[in-house]
Formats: sequence, structure tokens, C-alpha cells
Amino acid sequence: MAKDRLAEVLARYEAVIGLEIHTEITASATKMFCGCPVAFGGEPNTRVCPVCLGLPGALPVPNQAAIEWTVLAGLATDCDIALASQFHRKQYFYPDMPKDYQISQYDLPFCSGGSLEIEVGDEGGYRTTVGITRIHLEEDTGKMVHVGGSEGRIAGATHSLVDFNRAGTPLMELVTEPDIRTPEEARCFARKLRSIWLALGISDCNMEEGSMRVDANVSIRPRGATELGVKSEVKNMNSFKALHDAVAYEIVRQADVLDGGGRVVQETRHWDAGARRTSGLRSKEEAHDYRYFPEPDMVPFAFDPEWVDSLACRLPELPDARRDRYIAAFGLPKHDAALLSAEYAQACFFEEAVEIAGADRAKQIANWMLGELAARLNADGAEIADTRIRPPMIAEIVALVEDGAISGKQAKDVFAEMAETGDAPGAIVEAAGMKQVSDTAAIEAVAAAVLEANPNEVASYRAGKSGLIGFFVGAVMREMRGQGNPQVVNDVLRRMLEG
Amino acid sequence: MSGIDLSVFPARQIRDAIASGEFSAREAADAAYERIDALDSDVHAFLQLTPELAYAAADRIDALRAAGEDLPSLAGVPAGIKDNMNLVGTRTTCASRILGDYESVYDCTAVRRLLDAGALPIGKCNMDEFAFGSSTENSAYGPTRNPWDLDRVPGGSSGGSAAVVAAGMASISLGSDTGGSIRQPGALTGTVGLKPTYGRVSRYGIVAFGSSLDQIGPFGRTVEDVALTLEAIAGEDAMDATSSPEPVERYSEALGIGAKGLRVGVVRDMLAAEGCGEEIRAVVDQAAETFAALGAEVGSVDLPNAKHGLAAYYIIGPAEASSNLARFDGIRYGHRAAEATDVLDLYMRSRAEGFGPESIRRIMLGTYALSAGYYDAYYGQAQKARTRIIEDFRAAFERFDILLTPTTPEVAFRFGEKVDDPYTMYLNDYYTIPVNLAGNCAVSVPSGLCTTTGMPMGLQIIGDYFAESTLLRAAAAFEEATGFDSVPPLVKALGVAKGGE
Repeated sequence: MAKDRLAEVLARYEAVIGLEIHTEITASATKMFCGCPVAFGGEPNTRVCPVCLGLPGALPVPNQAAIEWTVLAGLATDCDIALASQFHRKQYFYPDMPKDYQISQYDLPFCSGGSLEIEVGDEGGYRTTVGITRIHLEEDTGKMVHVGGSEGRIAGATHSLVDFNRAGTPLMELVTEPDIRTPEEARCFARKLRSIWLALGISDCNMEEGSMRVDANVSIRPRGATELGVKSEVKNMNSFKALHDAVAYEIVRQADVLDGGGRVVQETRHWDAGARRTSGLRSKEEAHDYRYFPEPDMVPFAFDPEWVDSLACRLPELPDARRDRYIAAFGLPKHDAALLSAEYAQACFFEEAVEIAGADRAKQIANWMLGELAARLNADGAEIADTRIRPPMIAEIVALVEDGAISGKQAKDVFAEMAETGDAPGAIVEAAGMKQVSDTAAIEAVAAAVLEANPNEVASYRAGKSGLIGFFVGAVMREMRGQGNPQVVNDVLRRMLEG
Repeated sequence: MSGIDLSVFPARQIRDAIASGEFSAREAADAAYERIDALDSDVHAFLQLTPELAYAAADRIDALRAAGEDLPSLAGVPAGIKDNMNLVGTRTTCASRILGDYESVYDCTAVRRLLDAGALPIGKCNMDEFAFGSSTENSAYGPTRNPWDLDRVPGGSSGGSAAVVAAGMASISLGSDTGGSIRQPGALTGTVGLKPTYGRVSRYGIVAFGSSLDQIGPFGRTVEDVALTLEAIAGEDAMDATSSPEPVERYSEALGIGAKGLRVGVVRDMLAAEGCGEEIRAVVDQAAETFAALGAEVGSVDLPNAKHGLAAYYIIGPAEASSNLARFDGIRYGHRAAEATDVLDLYMRSRAEGFGPESIRRIMLGTYALSAGYYDAYYGQAQKARTRIIEDFRAAFERFDILLTPTTPEVAFRFGEKVDDPYTMYLNDYYTIPVNLAGNCAVSVPSGLCTTTGMPMGLQIIGDYFAESTLLRAAAAFEEATGFDSVPPLVKALGVAKGGE
């Protein structure tokens, strides 16, 4: 879809967007209400017990760690933490739900009334604040596998299989106020939230594996109107790009409907990343009656304010604070500081390298990380944790360059080899005999020989063809097998040619 | 023939007789199965017999004894288990077709603790389907008959558990009580039945009916057997978040203290209830006199909101049940309809075929009560009534240690008498329901036989939260003063072979 088409629609209509973000608390060793391990995948129905299978007579016992993670999430997003809270049962029949009700929260979520400020766009962008209605805790469902249809979807399937390994995984649901106005704001919010969850260590937030799932409620209304339009709920976006594109698609689709004199139907729509379009799933016009009622298998929670305070003390440095510190302490440009602080693993990598190399080399370390390393990860489609490059290697390569031991060009070769082999830069330099020569006397000896062997070029240079300096530098570097310090070689040659 | 009559041997004497070598645990199991052979084709108290489990348990006790080890508190004591409690090696059907072939894959905590105390699991006891009922007439596998009169119901829902003890087919049994399902059949069969304080006994492994009301509790022929059994099964359980960390007392050791100085309150306003017979009313007055004679301070008290108990219960109980029974959907276990066109059709057919009429009635009641637009008018109001009842009890227990009511408004009724009139059936639990709503403890103790019918009558003694010790002490004093003969004529006709007393 063309960008200008979206811009044209947004000139006439205001989009009203709210997000529902489900995050599996993968930091929890066990499921929400039983002792089964939390892990992705595995042979179907191997990480199950009477509780998460909903066998007759089994009872849920709440996972305190999961509740603490949820409260931490609330504290990090400026929410009020409820001192009185409880679980409710949300009731509907579906084969992936073992009890045919989901233990969730209703009118007493653990966290409510928060907000998050986001920056949209780079330099010259703007800031906006998105309200957070609530964060509550619930149990995840199992996974259905539909067999015989297309792409594993239910349409056309001959039968379905259920895997309950995921059933009962602690699932945190954050609901925003409908404060978001553009697809880009939606993407920025989700990214920012992910960076906070990662900094807190709540989840691996893997959108492809589904440990972080973002649904968007999208409606549009004519600019200036105050009444909300009819919304659709868009699901199945498993990347930030998909979130952006699906919301953009939906805005334009709804505008086309309205422009054509039609009306938008309240429904759930499925984003098809391949076809780059949304399609209707089921009509929500007849709202589900979930028959919520207080979960009688657990007593209501009454939290001590001191317990909440003690959790607040556990809050780590969040991405915004980290970014500001990088700017203040290391003099990093804001853009670089923001990039490095957004991903928790990357920030840890950076700080470890700076710890070794010293704060005065933080900028060079940032350059390597955002340059060579980022390009490499991008090309491999890898995460920072997946590479053989570790923080001490970046610290060492920066030190080698800064101390003049190798040239910048050599450093790039060393980096490439380091990425392949995982060897330390010092060892690579030594093995390749790559040490840079900065000794003036040694360079003078080679330069003298080069000048003697090329009398014609020397004459031309002295006659004014100063561009030939590159020829002489190249020849000296060749003689020195690339190990001459380019700056010193340059200086020596000019002095000998012009002196 | 084992030559042992379980109708005259209390649990402690069985254990002591095994410890002293008078007879073996195997012989105790034999005694249970011989009595079952003689009577259960008429009584139909068991849905499943588990001799392999019982004799394996008996062999372990006999081996302990042979090795000179100390025997646990219920060593060799034959026990019945209501069929809504899981035990590996048994089917747990809840007397429903929908779980007709369901094999337990884990153990209910209370059952596990009972067996760890040395009891012998004789079999699984009949009940009203999913514990919905007061007569066992709602069992999908046919009703249990009252050993005192085979034409009459044994009460319910734990009618099977009550009947096995009354008939001497086991010494003790476990039942569950959501609105009176232990106390009411206890009263109707001349046995002692205790509903512990909510949270006193773990609910892990009992198929849930009303999660905020259900408690597992014991039946016995004597108050001491009930106290010993409660000691074995009570206590906190990491698998049940509503189980209490309150320490378990040695209930059996406080029984001899007597009733002197106890403050006993007769719940006066409840005696005027609809359908409460004259003779039943007299039970409470006679009991009050008995307690006064034993040195208790007897007074009167009203529970003005208890009359709302029945209405509140028939909202809260079905609401929770409609949710708890949702999982029986034909997907993972239990009955699955053979011919279904899609998943919705599968759900509807499986459930329609699997559930009996009373289960369907309660699921519909509960679903309706929780529906959008009705929640506040029904569930919300019922919770308010519940709070009022809790306050009534709190006020009463500021003045009294125990309260007295009849257990039931009438003695055991005849089969079919009430089955078409759910409301009068529900009235049977009028006295017992308020206790489940408040969550405190109560016991039904036999108080004599009705002069016109010859059927047992029960006195309900109600205690405060976690006051089982006081409750059982009062019950023991009453039992001793009353001298009730708990052996029904049907059993006496068999001829008592060998007693313990």
C-alpha cells in the first residue's frame, strides 16, 4: 500500500487505535497454577499435569513469582498497583481450553491507570503519551493444530489436534487506552513496551514464537468528529512491521468502506502477512457472554503496601533512563544512545565492553556495535546473543585501533575473521603477522627504496603531480605487506618527496 | 468367615486388635467383603469394589505388624470412599454416565492421607450424580437403599458412604458436603457425619461441585471414629490454595472432657421451619435438656438470615457447578457422542447424553444466574445473603460455643416421594446449608429413633471456624448420654458373630 494513500486517508479521517498486548511470562520457571515447566515447543502434551489438563478434581494454586512480574510491569509503566485483587473465571467453550473457562482477571486487575511516553520518528519527531488501562494476569490456552486445511487454519480442516504444553503458561495482558493515532505510533508503543519487558526480564518477548502477541483495535472517524467509529480487532501480527502494516491496511480499508457509503462491521480480522491484507474471522456483533465470576478456588489477594515497595526496589534501570545515562556519561549522540538502550541484551553487551575498554572509548564501541556488528547481525538475521562475538572482543579491537597497533582497514578484516572463528582479535592479528608498523626509521628505509625504483614518478610528483602520493603510499604498503601505519607512511613520503 | 463384625468394632479397636495380633488386617478386609456379599445386592452402596487395593493395603499393615513396627492410627480399618474422589487404580465416575469409564490418574489428597493412616480402601461409594441431590436417587447407576428400611432413601448426596457404615460394610467412610451431603445422610442412616470447617481438609482431587462450599468429611458409627478419621485427613495441602495452615488438633484426645461449662445455643427461629415435624423439633429440646443435665449452660439464639440460606445456596451452588462441570465436554476424557458434525455439536450431544436430569437442571440454573444482566440480581444478591448469614453465626458464636438444630426436617423418606418435586427435596437441606454458606463446622449425631417410622433422627451440632475439637467433644458427650444403638435391624438379622465391646 502506498504511503501517500495512508497520508491522504489520515488527512480526512482520524484513526483511533488501542492495543491489547499479551506477553507470556517466560521468566517464570513454572506455569501459572501448577508446577509444570514453562518452555516453548517440546513433544506435544509432555509438559502437562492434572492441573493444566483440567482433570476432574484438580485445583489451581497461584504462582507468586508471576504475580510479582506483573506488578513489576505495572510499576515500570506508572500503573496503580491494586492492594486488593482477585482472579475471575472467564467462561467459554473451546477445545484448547482444558477447563472450558480461563482463569483471568475482571474488575480487579493487579495494575491499572498507567501510561507510557513514546517518541515517534527520529530527530524532528514528536512525543506522545499513551494511557495504559490495565495489566492483568491470566493463563494461556493450549495450541490447536488443524489438519487437512490450508496453512493450518480451521477452514477446510478434516480434524484438529490439541497440544496442552502451552496451557497454563502465565500470560500478562496489557490494554491501552485508545490514544494511538497512527500505525507508526502503534509500532513505537509496542517496541518501547518490549524494550521495557526485556529490561525487566519478564519475557523473551519473541513475537514469532508467540510469547509476545499484539492485537490492535482500530476505528476511524472523520476529522473533528468526537463520536467513535465502529472498530475491528486485528490479530495475527507476529512482527512490529506486521503490526504497522496491518493497522495501516485496516485504516485504509475502513476509509474505503466509508467512502463507498458502507458501514464498518465490528469483527475480528486476521492479518495475512503473505497477502498483506486482513480478512474477517467472526462477527463480534453478538458479544460473547463470558459469565465472569470470582474464582472460588483461590482466596482474594490482600497485598501489603510494603510488599509493593519492596518490588519497586527491584525495578532495574529502564531504557529511557539508560539512554539518558549513555548521553550524559559517554557523550553518545542521542540516536545511538536510544538504539543501544532499546534492546536489553544489546545494552548489556555495550556496557560490558565499555567496562573493559574504558568510558573514553564508549563512542568507538558504539560505532562498532551499530556499524559492523549490526550489519552482520542483520545479514545473518541473528540476535546479539547468537553471535560468536563477545564484548571483550569489541573492547580489544577498539584498543588495537586506538593504540595504533592496527589500522582501521585491518580492523575490519580482523572483525570479519573474528565473527567467523570466534578467535580473539589479538590472536588473529598475531597469527596473520598483521601488526601495524609505525616506526619512522623502518618506514623511511622502505620509502627510500620505493623512490629509488621509480625515478620517473618522483620527477612527475616534484613537477606538480601531487596526486601521485597515493601511488607511492600504495607501493610502500605493498612492500610492508599492509602493516605500515598509513598516517606515518604518508608523512614520511611527503617529507622525502618535498624535502 | 472372618468372624469379625464391623458393626460392633469401632476403628480404634480394629487397629488395636491388629496390633495385638487378635486378628489380621486381611481378616478385617474379609469382614468388610463378607458383609458386602450378604447385604450390598440389596443396599447398593458401592459402585465399585477394590479388593486388590484393599488387600494390598492390608498386607502392608500385616507386614508392619510382623516386623514389630508401630501401626498408624487407622491401620487395617475398612473404609469406603465416595465416588467423586480420585484414587489411582479406581474409576471415579461421580455416579454419572459422562465419567462412566473415567480412570483416576492421580490421588485425592484426603484419600491419600486416609490410606497413609493405614485404612483399607474397600470400594467407591454410590452418590447422587456429581453430588446433586439428597437421596442418591440421582445416581446414574441406581439408588442406594437405607439399611434401616430398604424402601427408604439413605439421604444424599453421600448416601452410599453413609449406608456402608450403617450396614457395617466398612467402619468409616469419606463423603463430601456442599449443602448437607454428609450430615443429612448421616442423620437418615443413624451414623455420625462431620462437615469440617471450609479449608480444614484439602479439596484437591475431589471432583468439584461448589468450590466455595465443598468439604470432604468422615462418616463413622461413633464420634471417636469420626475424630480419628478427621485427624488423618485434615491439614494444609500445597495443592489446594484454600486449605488452611491452621494446625490440626488431636481431636480424638479431647473427647472425654464432657460438656460441663459448654455454652450451648438452641437455634430457636429455625425450628419453626416449613415441613419440620413435631418429633424432630422435640429432638432439639431433648438434646438441650441432655446438655443441661451434663452441666452445660443452655440458652436460645436466632439466626434471622439463615432462612435465606436455601435461596442463596441454589444460586451460588449451581453457579459454581455450571462452571466446574464445563470441562466435561467430550474432548479429552469421559463420554463423547459417537456422531457429531462439528465441535459445537460434539459438545452439545456429549453433554446431553452424559449428564442426568438434575445435573442439567443445575447447570442451567447456574448458567442463567451468571448471565449478563442477571448476575447482580442473582449471584450478587446471593453473596449478600451469604454475608448476612456469616454475620449471624459470628454474633451467635460470641455468646455460645456450639449451636443445636435438627439435621433434617424429617426422617428418611420413601423412594420416589420427592423425586418429581425438586423444591421439597431441596428443603431437606434447610438446616445444613447455612453452615456451608458460612464455612464453619457441624456434625450430625444420632439422637434416637422416630417412634412412628422407626427411622433414625439426627441432631446437628454447629461449631465455630476450626472449632472441631469443641464440636466433637460436645458430640461425644451427647453420644454417651444418648446411648444410641447404631445397628439397624437388617444387620441384626444376620446375627452378630463377634463383637469388640
